[in-house]
This record gives sequence, C-alpha cells and structure tokens, in this order.
Amino acid sequence: MHQVIYIEEAVADHPRTKSICARFPKATKVYCKHYGEIFNRKAQNFRLQKKQPALILAHKHKNHVLDAPDGYGIGGRRNYYFSHMLNCVYDCRYCFLQGMYRSANYVIFVNYEDFQQSIINTANQHPDEALWFFSGYDCDSLAYEPVTEFTKAFLPTFRQLPNAHLELRTKSLQVRTLLKSEPLNNCIVAFSFTPEEISQALEHGVPSVEKRIEAMVKLQQHGWRLGLRFDPMIYQEGFEQLYQRLFEQIFSRLSASGIHSVSLGTLRTPKAFHQNMVNLYPEEKLFAGRFDENRGMITYQKELEEQMTKFCHEQLMQYIPQSLFFACTPSENP
Amino acid sequence: MINILTALPCEARPLIEHYRLRGNGRHHAFRCYQNDDVQLIICGIGKLAAATATAYLAASEPQRNYAWLNLGIAGHATKSVGEVLLAHKLIDAATGQQSFPGIVIPIPCASETLTTVDKPEQRYRESTMVDMEASGFYAAASRFQSCELIHALKIISDNQSHNTDNISEKSTTALINDNIITIESVINELQQLATELDSIKQTPAEIYAFMEHWRFTAYQQNELRLLLRRWHALTPASSPAPHDFTEYKNSKAVLIAIKEHLDAQPIRFEEANN
Repeated sequence: MHQVIYIEEAVADHPRTKSICARFPKATKVYCKHYGEIFNRKAQNFRLQKKQPALILAHKHKNHVLDAPDGYGIGGRRNYYFSHMLNCVYDCRYCFLQGMYRSANYVIFVNYEDFQQSIINTANQHPDEALWFFSGYDCDSLAYEPVTEFTKAFLPTFRQLPNAHLELRTKSLQVRTLLKSEPLNNCIVAFSFTPEEISQALEHGVPSVEKRIEAMVKLQQHGWRLGLRFDPMIYQEGFEQLYQRLFEQIFSRLSASGIHSVSLGTLRTPKAFHQNMVNLYPEEKLFAGRFDENRGMITYQKELEEQMTKFCHEQLMQYIPQSLFFACTPSENP
Repeated sequence: MINILTALPCEARPLIEHYRLRGNGRHHAFRCYQNDDVQLIICGIGKLAAATATAYLAASEPQRNYAWLNLGIAGHATKSVGEVLLAHKLIDAATGQQSFPGIVIPIPCASETLTTVDKPEQRYRESTMVDMEASGFYAAASRFQSCELIHALKIISDNQSHNTDNISEKSTTALINDNIITIESVINELQQLATELDSIKQTPAEIYAFMEHWRFTAYQQNELRLLLRRWHALTPASSPAPHDFTEYKNSKAVLIAIKEHLDAQPIRFEEANN
C-alpha cells in the first residue's frame, strides 16, 4: 500500500490517474508540476525509499519507444523498449535500476495511448520486418498489473500489428489478464529465473521458483508462447548443481515445444551504477565477490563468465534445440 | 540521532522537558540543548534564521547521519487548532520553490502542504499550513541529509475562526505538550531511520588499527575502507586484524594481500540467509 501518491498536475484529471488512485483510497495525494521534482532530486536514498515506495503518476512527453541496449534481444534485428513504468515492485539485489535511479518510488506514465501510437508508428516504418518491443526493461512487465492494467491496455495494440512482437518480462504471478485473453502469436511471456537458493537470498519479494513455474504452466496450457530468461546468471560456489537443478525443475513441468526462446546472460552492470549499488548495500555478499571492469561494465572474470555460460548452455541443450537459444551478450565491438 | 529545530523557546520547552535536554554551552550563536540522542536548536523567527541555524548545527558534527525535524506551530484556514500535521510538500512563497520530504516512515497523523512566508499574512491561504521557517530549514538540511530524514511537523495554532491574536507563549507550549505522543512517535521513527543509515555508511572500525600500523595515502585509505567492507560482507564471522598481515612491509603490500585473501573467498548465498 502506498502512503503517498504524487500526481503531476497535468494528469490530475486523467481517467487512468483516477482509476489508479481509486485503488489506494487511504493514500495522501500530493500534486507536483513534474515527476522529476520527486524522482530525480539529488538528496534521496534508494534503499530507504524501498521500505515504503511512493507512487508517482506522470505524463511521458517524448521518447516513448527507444532502441534496446546492445545484447538485449532474442534474435530480432530491430529491438526496442518502452517503459510505462519506472522501477519494480521487487527488490533484486543485482538489479541495475537501484544503481541507475536515485529514487525507488514507482513512476507510472498514465498516457498509455502515446506509447501505443509510437509503437504503431515504429511498426509502420518497417512494415516488412519483424520488430521486437521489450516492456520489461525499467520495470517488471506484469508485477503491477492489478494497478496499471498494462497488458489489458497494450495487448490490443499488438494484436493489430503482425510485424511487431512484444516481450513481457516478469518474475510475477500476475497472469490473470493473460489467462482471460486470447493468446497472441506475436507476444512472448518471458519469465526470469535464478536458482531458488540464490533467489531467496537476492530476489526480495519475488515469488518462489515453483510458483513461477506453475504460472508458466497455466499460460502454456492456455496457449501463450513462453520465454525463459536466465539473465543474469549469478555465481556461487557449486553453481553447476544449482542451475542443473533449476533447469530440471523447469523442464520437468514445461513442454519445450511451447517455449519460444531461452536466453542466458552473465551479470553485467555499468560501473557507475555498480558503485551506487555497492554504496547502498555495502554488506551485500553479491558485491563483495571478485569482479572485473570491462569497457565500462563491471562483470565477473572472463573465465568465470565463459565457464558459467558454457555449463548452462550445455545443460539447456539437453532440453531445447539450439534454435531457441540466445546469448544476451553485448557485442565485442564498441 | 536527531536534530530538532524550533523557532521559539516556547515551542522548545516541552521537548527540553520531555527529553531532559541540557543546555550546550559549546554553542554561542544559537541556544542549543541536547542529550545523547537529541539535539535541539532554537533559531528565531524566519526562514533565514532557520537555514542559518540548520547549517550551523550540521556543520558542528558533519560526520554523523542525523535526522532533521522542524517542529513548531502553523496557521491553516480550515484545520482545527491543536491538530498536528506532517508536511508532505513545502512551498517557499517568495520563490515558488517546491520541495517534497520523502515519506518512508509510518506517519501517525495526517499530512498537508506547508507554505513558508516571509512576513505574517492577514488572509489565510487555501489548503496549506503557513509558517515562517520550514522552507529555509529544508533547503539547508537537504544539503547535508537525504530527504527521507528531513521533515517538518506542525501544530495548528490559528485558523479563520481562531486568529493569531489568541496565540501566546503559554498556549503555544500547551499545543506542543498536548501532542507530545505524536511528536515522540515521529522522532522515534526518524531516529531509527538515521541509525539505519548510519550503520550502512559506517566505516569499518578496523581501519584505524590498520592505519596505526602502516601509512596509507588518502587514496589507499579509501581502498582499505572498501576492502574492509568487502571483508565483512564475505566473512561476517571474522574480523580483519593488522597482526594477520605483519609480514607485509608497507601499505601497498597489505592492500594487495587483503585483496588476494578476499578474491579467494568462496561465495555462497545460502549462508547469508541463515
């Protein structure tokens, strides 16, 4: 529950603002001119705010659709991302958002229609190409669905754009809207996983691996195409057994034939974000291990990265064909 | 630890008694009172006085993570006299500048916008408390502390049907006294938050023992601090001690040895959960 909802004056009367506020009748509404007054101010502490995040309702004026970062894709040539929300309801210690943003408050841009129009315009600019749109870059795509009604609003847009593919990336169990909807062939519901032991230690507030698998099974039975994201892979001593067990756990329940794609990525964080994260959580074991700096990114040692990728790739090949596999690795050429 | 700023002695008196604060003769520019957990400064009326007193107190012990609270009386057009309200938005009437304290503590009372004016006003503004200090206090305090730890708590002293003529030193003291439980609750929450931040930012205690044994440059001291923090994160059960590194002649060799030791430590997250 939010104690405070900050609302940009310009969206005070927006129907989506009203419906979201109606879900939090006890929250104090505080009006501001621009969400940046709260979200981007200097003297604030992400860790303290994560204890009780406020909600910020705002209008996104431009850059509704952006090019996806290097290495963020599943085989498509044109990859984009869009963020109706900034920040995540979960608290994963490896998440770059806590190093990138000063605030842990959740921003929801209520002007969905402008995002949808940008998606349509982008798709229409490349009518003969398959385009990928990722919605889970700055937030979990589904975790706040009861409040945002994001999928309810955006699935119809993609239903009318056959060349545009949508990836919903999530760790949540909020699949009710999807289970009520006719599956879209151009939408992938991708679930992120780390082994249960690592998840419990580092992914605070995230549902258990087993529950996420159950949600995937329901979606698969309903006809949704699924993705599996092991990104980032997290190292600990004996990671082989942990990841082996995780893959067994997943593929013993899910039919590989209904899987659209599986991707692997190693832990990688821009140096400035990493430093912010270490300062926020100096006692965190994750950040106390051995890291290297590689072209401005903080990563595990190259040999360890290769060892983890090779092992997990080999394990995955026991369950899926190579054609479904994608490595989330930025290209070597800057 | 919390720093409390009031404009007037009559606003401060109930707190001085409640927390058994003692006058601090070290400070001459402002009247200050304190115990082990609370410092109180009486700044006088106006935002400039509030900003000056805040900066004065902050500069007196810059290393500590204090919470900050501006406590006092305020006017409001419609709120009842005696109602206590936390400010969720601060407006400086002269500049139009808006600030938003970060509310992460559970608040035991309602909240409201607070507008700081330079001169007393005859007419009440709509939907806002009005005082003469908060914007100066907040602007200064936010130079030193994160917004979640800076708040203004006001007790309504006058409104459209009970104007400022009725305010006296005695009634002001009574208003603060009547709300001391709510005030204490906010102070407790802020103190906990400050303690938490202090422990996060704390320099590992062993650093001083290492610095006694070897001469570290300023750059190396920072490196040592980061390594010692890694040490505690990786092996919380053991503390690094200089006598484990006596074979190393100089600071550079010590830093390398600590780093090699840490790089060789296994990472297991299950232990972190236990």
